Amino acid sequence: MVAFPYYDTGAIGALKTQADVLLDLFLSRGYAREEPSVLQPAEIFVDRSGEEIRRRTFTLMDPSGRDLCLRPDLTIPICREAVLVNRTFPARIAYNGLVFRHQPGEPQRPTQFFQAGVELLGLEDRAAGETEILSLAIAALRVAGLKDFSLRIGDLALFGALVDALALPRQWRFRLKRHFWRAGYVESLLYWLGHGDSLGDGASRLPGDRAEIEALLEKQGDAPLAGRTREDIIARAMDRAAEARTLRLDPVVADAIARLLDISGPADAAMAQIRSLLKTAGINLDPQLAAMDARLATLASLGVAPGAVQFTAHFGRNMEYYTGFVFELWARDREGPVQVAGGGRYDTLLETLGAKQPVSAIGCAIRTERVLAAKEAA
Amino acid sequence: MLTLAIPSKGRLKDNCNAWFAQAGIVMEQTAGARGYRASFAGFPDVEVMLLSASEIASSLLAGDINLGITGEDLLREEAPELTGRMHLIRPLGFGFADVVVAVSQYWVDVSTMADLDDVCAAYAHTHRRRLRVATKYAQLTRQFFAQARISDYRIVPSAGATEGAPAAGTAEVIVDITTTGATLRDNGLKILDDGVILKSQATLAASLTADWTEETRQSCATLLAKLDPAAALYAPLAAQLPPP
Repeated sequence: MVAFPYYDTGAIGALKTQADVLLDLFLSRGYAREEPSVLQPAEIFVDRSGEEIRRRTFTLMDPSGRDLCLRPDLTIPICREAVLVNRTFPARIAYNGLVFRHQPGEPQRPTQFFQAGVELLGLEDRAAGETEILSLAIAALRVAGLKDFSLRIGDLALFGALVDALALPRQWRFRLKRHFWRAGYVESLLYWLGHGDSLGDGASRLPGDRAEIEALLEKQGDAPLAGRTREDIIARAMDRAAEARTLRLDPVVADAIARLLDISGPADAAMAQIRSLLKTAGINLDPQLAAMDARLATLASLGVAPGAVQFTAHFGRNMEYYTGFVFELWARDREGPVQVAGGGRYDTLLETLGAKQPVSAIGCAIRTERVLAAKEAA
Repeated sequence: MLTLAIPSKGRLKDNCNAWFAQAGIVMEQTAGARGYRASFAGFPDVEVMLLSASEIASSLLAGDINLGITGEDLLREEAPELTGRMHLIRPLGFGFADVVVAVSQYWVDVSTMADLDDVCAAYAHTHRRRLRVATKYAQLTRQFFAQARISDYRIVPSAGATEGAPAAGTAEVIVDITTTGATLRDNGLKILDDGVILKSQATLAASLTADWTEETRQSCATLLAKLDPAAALYAPLAAQLPPP
């Protein structure tokens, strides 16, 4: 692999043939092809997506000083357009195009590559949407000629529901969910909640009642509000003072969750482990577990061998807009395992991009150059 | 010729001169060079250049000069990853300043980076845009915020008077340099308990990408031995320099 790929005649031909096969499949399933421009206003990525995607986005300035970027994916601009033009839902959109990613610390990886993918926006029946996208992703690899691949699946909603089932203050539930994608950090927060002996921060210094907090604010002279409201500051100060006194998690529960997050293995065995740990913790997540069972049944009906499906509890993907079911498809090229496709549910993205109502969304993208490399190695 | 850049004005310049004088090195301004060139008496193959503190950091990174004295804050901001690019030879015991994260004193509920993380997330959720951090230390801020697991913020470059940004409404939080904290306090700001990004001081640094001939290496060894006879300053630098 090289940082700046050069496409020779053969490579262009192979990519075009493959893209045609994939797009034909997408179109045959009711998807219509669209394409946003390569150059995008930087703020839609920099302001709306998380650190990981920002870190990897090439930004530049136009001569008038406006911040632009090279699209690091097609999902965000496609969803933004759907919001701007007020599309009727459900919408089924297919794409094939280049994306651009800075590869910090890995100078040999390509700074641009092709992605072919689909977005299914605004379909009310979520389970049906997941079945549709999952089968489309698998069909895509098969029509592209890749026979041997495995799946990694996870579900961020499972973790969200788990956290919501805990007797924790709202702030703490947000904090745990927000940081789910950071390996290690959530575990350390959980350990602290179960076993820590004091709050290692300034909350214990805060007075507990409203009048005292108001008096404290009076003493701040003309220090600026700096973008917040007085009410917001008072409310959060009271929350913090209260949690400093009461914030604890039953160590049995904290440990059970930490062990649950550690689960990774063949999906059937992993689900059994999760059920047993939830029982220990006294938490009921039956709807989420049923949804996962349904996905596994879908995969079985698509002819994917159960041994080829790996469930990883701590699997949040490396882009922070995913909200629920996530999956990756893996194959091997000459150098070893490579992720050839990935996708998942991102039910809050359209709202962050300005949609007035929540819009359910799920999609997947195929790394077409990696699929070619995996086929060559097979 | 070994090139050494020192700050061209202010207290840093005076402190540098005092440090050289204490090592018995006398600096002579070169006539006709409009005050931007100097030399050390008895060191004919050392060329001293007087540059601004931030130019010294960028010149070291670019490999335009062999040695330079400037604030560690500027060096780390210019080259977040020092390996292979710069070697910090020695802190000099003056020019102390901390790079810190500061928020409004009115934010009585915020005293740690974890608090700031909550506030950033809530702000992004409520306002559909990210909380702004004004700073001239974009690199240091990114690194530090990443370590503190904060991602819901954006950096607003600040050319000067950063401490005024929250009051002026151009940013909600700042990352800035402070020595006594007085300027921050005067602007109604406080430093977070765990918000010290870097305790900086004037530092003698070498560029690893500059032109290092046998002669410049020899001059450098001699100069460093004279500057601090007790410490073996040259050996650790030599170990990192590429073969001549």
